[in-house]
Amino acid sequence: MLKWYKEPAKNSDVVISSRIRLARNLRKYPFSIKLSDEQAVLMVNEVKESAKTIEQQTERKYNSSNVNTLAEIDKTAMVERHIISPLLTAKEQSTGLILSEDEKISIMINEEDHLRIQSVTGGMNIYEAFRMANKVDDITSGIFEYAFHEKYGYLTSCPTNVGTGLRASYMVFLPALTAAGRVGKLIEELGKYGIALRGTYGEATKSVGSLYSYDEVEDKVHRSYGILRYARQLTSGDAMTLLAQLKLGLDLELIKPKQEFNVHELMMDIQPGNLQCHQDKNIGSIQRDKIRADYIREKLPEII
Amino acid sequence: MLCDKCKKNEAKVYYTEIVNGEKSEQHLCEECATELTSFQMGASILNPETSLGSLLSTILGNYHGNPAQEKERTGKELHCDKCGMTYSEFLRVGRFGCDHCYDSFDKVLEQSIRNIQGSDAHTGKKPKDFESKTDKIIKEMPEIDKLSIRLQDAIEKEEFEEAARLRDQIRKLRKEEINNA
Ligand SMILES: [Zn+2]
Ligand SMILES: [Zn+2]
Repeated sequence: MLKWYKEPAKNSDVVISSRIRLARNLRKYPFSIKLSDEQAVLMVNEVKESAKTIEQQTERKYNSSNVNTLAEIDKTAMVERHIISPLLTAKEQSTGLILSEDEKISIMINEEDHLRIQSVTGGMNIYEAFRMANKVDDITSGIFEYAFHEKYGYLTSCPTNVGTGLRASYMVFLPALTAAGRVGKLIEELGKYGIALRGTYGEATKSVGSLYSYDEVEDKVHRSYGILRYARQLTSGDAMTLLAQLKLGLDLELIKPKQEFNVHELMMDIQPGNLQCHQDKNIGSIQRDKIRADYIREKLPEII
Repeated sequence: MLCDKCKKNEAKVYYTEIVNGEKSEQHLCEECATELTSFQMGASILNPETSLGSLLSTILGNYHGNPAQEKERTGKELHCDKCGMTYSEFLRVGRFGCDHCYDSFDKVLEQSIRNIQGSDAHTGKKPKDFESKTDKIIKEMPEIDKLSIRLQDAIEKEEFEEAARLRDQIRKLRKEEINNA
């Protein structure tokens, strides 16, 4: 099965991915802040066990693991790929993860809530993401007794999540709005509809900030390609900026790749943690900047 | 007025920030304001809900006053029997300690949840096998009472055929009861 960022998807130039998160807690354990270390171990093991049942009832393969015992570098790599949250990696208590082989579904165990069921699809496809998460929730609700309140619904550690425990999000690429300085206004407008806009690759989008005319954009896109093609050292911040500009060029069809090329996959691969995992050894930052430049040169397509 | 941050451009944005109840104010130019908000967006990814949670406790704090004063007045502080969380602890951390906290702090919570979520009652999905208190009470009632409730319900929904059927069933049970006595 294809990973989400490799799937062809609707409107994927602007909407990079669609995500659903469901927050769930088990009735029999205290919530996160009152959970003892012993209870955390029991809870994580109990939830990890459910991976088998989930696998039997869906068409996916799942792996379960303890997160707190993983090497730091592996945790970082998973955060960069948006599989787990920084909060989960920061916890010293027992924490766990159930992850589908295609990385579309994950359950973080003992994050802010006992279970954080997450699903992701490429492009704009929130309904499919919801269908996947909801199905897993149906299965786990048959295994565990959830903390559920007749009046308030699904009970969560933070009262702002109570009710459905659901959060839906799109990851969007908005280089032109950023350049035009309209993002602040957009945040304000969206706020009125209960929608929050947050930056992810902040650095990458900021530097497209001084583009005005079409000619300038075209020039900048080609310059960026040139640097990516020939640079021998690239920091992750520089690389992200250049790749964001390259993506803009690809989306506007200012440049066309000769070979198949997935810019989002490359953006994840060159993050410090992921790059190090590919290399399979611990490396210093200058060495890493060289390896990053080599890696990009190898993956970068020729252009027409 | 010049921008408080760069002291170069004309200040156009009046920027107020409340973090964990601490308020700060600045007059900024558009450029510095954009930079500041995008920086904050970056920081909030690390733990987006921290800010929401503390926001909620700020709102709650404003509504219901200082829990320490409440304690002085009544002699004891509102707390959860099951996990031991006190109201002031909740205001500090913005998180509940267990499922029972929602009942323990129900009185002070209801209004705030309505403000934040636009409603104070959940109407969506329920876990499999979830039995509400009403369901449970109905389940333990004698058959005749159960049927009477369903009869009421059918009349309200104007399902008159169903209502007639239920009425006949109730009559039949009543007759049996009398005979048995
Ligand atoms: Zn300024
Ligand atoms: Zn409690």
